[in-house]
Amino acid sequence: MKRMSALLAAVLALSATSLSARVDVGQPAPAFSLADSNGRTRTLEEFKGRTVVLEWTNAECPFVRKHYDSGNMQRQQKEATAAGVVWLAINSGAPGKQGEVDGGDANQQIQIDHSAPTAYLLDPTGATGRAYGAATTPHMYVIDGQGVLRYKGGIDSIISDDAADIPKATQYVKQALAELAAGKPVSVPLSAPYGCAVKYAPN
Amino acid sequence: MPHSWPRLLSLIGLAALSAGAVQAAPLQSEHLAVELVAERQALVAGAANWVGLRLEHEEHWHTYWQNAGDTGLPTRFEWTLPPGWKAGPIAWPAPERLQIGDLFNFGYSGTALLPVAIEVPAAAAGTEATVRLAANWLVCKEECIPGKAELTLTLPVAAAAAAPADSPAAAAVRAALARRPVAASWKAAVSADGERINIRVQGADLPAADALDVFALQPQVLANAPAQIARDGAALVVNAARSEYFVAAPAALDLVFVERRGEALRAWQVAAPWPAAAAAAGPAAAETAHGAAPGEVGGLGIALLLAFLGGIVLNLMPCVFPVLSLKALGLAESAHAPAAARRDGLAYLAGAVSGFLVLAAVLLALRAAGQSLGWGFQLQSPLLVAALAYLMVAMGLSLSGAFVIGARLMGVGQSLAGGGGARGAFFTGVLACVVASPCTAPFMGPALGFALTQPAAAALAVFAALGAGLALPIVALSFIPLLARWLPRPGAWMETFKQVMAWPLYVTAVWLFWVLMRQVGADAAAVALLGLVALIAALLYHGRSQLQPQAGWGRRLVFAALLLLALAPLSALTTLAVRPGAEAGAGQAWQTWTPQRFEELQHRGEPVFVNMTAAWCITCLANERIALSSEDFAARLRRDGIHYLKGDWTNQDAAITRYLANFQRSGVPLYVVYPRGGGAPEVLPQLLTPGLVDAALARAAASPSPSYSTSGSSP
Repeated sequence: MKRMSALLAAVLALSATSLSARVDVGQPAPAFSLADSNGRTRTLEEFKGRTVVLEWTNAECPFVRKHYDSGNMQRQQKEATAAGVVWLAINSGAPGKQGEVDGGDANQQIQIDHSAPTAYLLDPTGATGRAYGAATTPHMYVIDGQGVLRYKGGIDSIISDDAADIPKATQYVKQALAELAAGKPVSVPLSAPYGCAVKYAPN
Repeated sequence: MPHSWPRLLSLIGLAALSAGAVQAAPLQSEHLAVELVAERQALVAGAANWVGLRLEHEEHWHTYWQNAGDTGLPTRFEWTLPPGWKAGPIAWPAPERLQIGDLFNFGYSGTALLPVAIEVPAAAAGTEATVRLAANWLVCKEECIPGKAELTLTLPVAAAAAAPADSPAAAAVRAALARRPVAASWKAAVSADGERINIRVQGADLPAADALDVFALQPQVLANAPAQIARDGAALVVNAARSEYFVAAPAALDLVFVERRGEALRAWQVAAPWPAAAAAAGPAAAETAHGAAPGEVGGLGIALLLAFLGGIVLNLMPCVFPVLSLKALGLAESAHAPAAARRDGLAYLAGAVSGFLVLAAVLLALRAAGQSLGWGFQLQSPLLVAALAYLMVAMGLSLSGAFVIGARLMGVGQSLAGGGGARGAFFTGVLACVVASPCTAPFMGPALGFALTQPAAAALAVFAALGAGLALPIVALSFIPLLARWLPRPGAWMETFKQVMAWPLYVTAVWLFWVLMRQVGADAAAVALLGLVALIAALLYHGRSQLQPQAGWGRRLVFAALLLLALAPLSALTTLAVRPGAEAGAGQAWQTWTPQRFEELQHRGEPVFVNMTAAWCITCLANERIALSSEDFAARLRRDGIHYLKGDWTNQDAAITRYLANFQRSGVPLYVVYPRGGGAPEVLPQLLTPGLVDAALARAAASPSPSYSTSGSSP
């Protein structure tokens, strides 16, 4: 019986990892190659040597709105990119789903929100989102210059859809970037992502 | 605006909800109808009464349990009750598992009810009472819409031990209560094995495993995908993946087991104590075990000492000198009244310390709110710079005898810093702190940088030490009569001294205006200068009025009008501001520091000299004059191909603030030399000499370090 359950556990563990891929902090971040909103192909590889932030987004999600209508996300984008960090917004919404965009929509959304990502990447198949295990919008990842994942989780520490909570929350991405820039270990490398579901294409 | 219509709709829904909130009918929101109901037709005094929010979800839509799962947000209640009443937490019924693609959420669909126990005091019997509920929820299908409603319920309060008739909602309330998990008397043991978590539950009347699901109350412990549940003889065994967001284990994991067979539902709750050894198995534990970053000041004690010494050294800086000499002058007067002198000394100390504490508290609060600021932030505000310049001129005019501060107590030597006595001494201390901020003394940089990475209490202690150091010479003068005796006796010379001391203040004002010009451009600075002219007019006029035996209302009005005229331009400062920036011209030895430029040079492995400066930083300007503007320096740069990048922190600049933080600094100046071919940068002292800079540059140019690194923003 005991051997049976151990075997069962091993099989389960294997199947679990193959079903929903994920990446752990301290591990190399999965490579990707996606078209940006201007039709240009962007890869993680091209930003080697620079710190990269990945932001899963969907402009129609109330949690995303919380951080854009308050200006929090744009502020962090501008600060990060001004410090030489690469900030990639990624939309893994499947065609036809709420919040899914094409390049033109994405550029229009950038204008509406005055947002400032380095690029807005389109992942309509959801392959990149699934490779990272991106579950929510927003869902944040920070990758260091060596391509190693240093942070994954929520944008901040207070799980709510109320913009009034932003000033009270610890902004984890901002904190991780500051610590990385200072050559320190990231003090909070993991937090609970919160938000709307990423609207993936069925697989 | 493709995203705005659901928000608009929810707003309309909200308005409709609050308008209709008085009657106890279901309120239709988007995809959800809500109704505040009670179990009985009256509330019972001296007892807990069940009320609840009935949720009628549109098909395919759901709201969330206390642990929402992969996405979503638990429904939240806020009660407004008569005084003495108490509302319990939501008595969550067992949740459903809701799957969306690969994701799992826990919540409710169809018809659900969230019960809450309201404790009604005995004294309420015989009244009619209204309970108010502000409910917030997130309702989702695949997309989500936040909703909220203000609901009220007005019911009579029956006497204690009464049994009022059931309300129409009684069955729904009791059904929800019946779906709450019961506290099981089982024993649960956790064993965490890397990525898997095993929970072995033993006890009487364990359910079969086939229709069983399990949910954790605490998020971020178990993965949200369904766990494997099996019977192993008399035990129930749960094997779950650990959450990929697992950071730390709770003392005990609270599990809710839910059995569904057709319409029948049974639910149990059991606490599984977490084994101590497995508690810190998360990846976070390994990450944080790295220890202190290099280059940090060794602990709070040393930071306090450095700050205190830095404060003493501040007294020698040109910023503080005028204020300090005024204070010394004040002491000379009171030297022969030792008690008053001591009182003033202590008041000055209190002023300096509280000045630093207030500035530090403001800085910490702004940083906590997410602003990238460092020490000196107060001088990054053009408004404050202009106000300081005005203050300098006003104090100067007073010393020059144009008017007297505190007119009611006229007389030679009275009240040099305004107010007179302890109050005057206190504000002199505050003033010393404010004017000292541009002069970051040696010792202070590392100490303040350290302070800002510490918890608030430690940070404030460091700033307090700085204030104490700044106040030390004056406190010493006031407490040691021997020292005070060195000061000459009061007399006619003091009037002359005052006249002379006015001039450093005027010069300080000129400098502040120069800073202002660098901050907001010539136009805005000119407007501020116009305001200054009005201020001078106001003060001269005021001085003349002081000579009149009676100050009439007319004169006061003119004075007030002139003052207003002086202050009005300050409000236009920011609107008129044109940031001139420190653009590098052709033939100049330096280039403007930008993260991109810096990173590019770092990539190429070129030797770089970084100078972080600000127009209001006197130490910076002195260094530049002494060590960084000579032809020798320029020649060294040219000969060795060293890039000189200058960052201007006169105005707020988050990128520079972050760069400073790399070196545990929170202020300028900062000089860093990066050797050729990468390798560890060298931080130069805050006081430069030409020889020191030349030697550092020579080392950087020569360095053939093979450890070429491409780390961009992390030097």
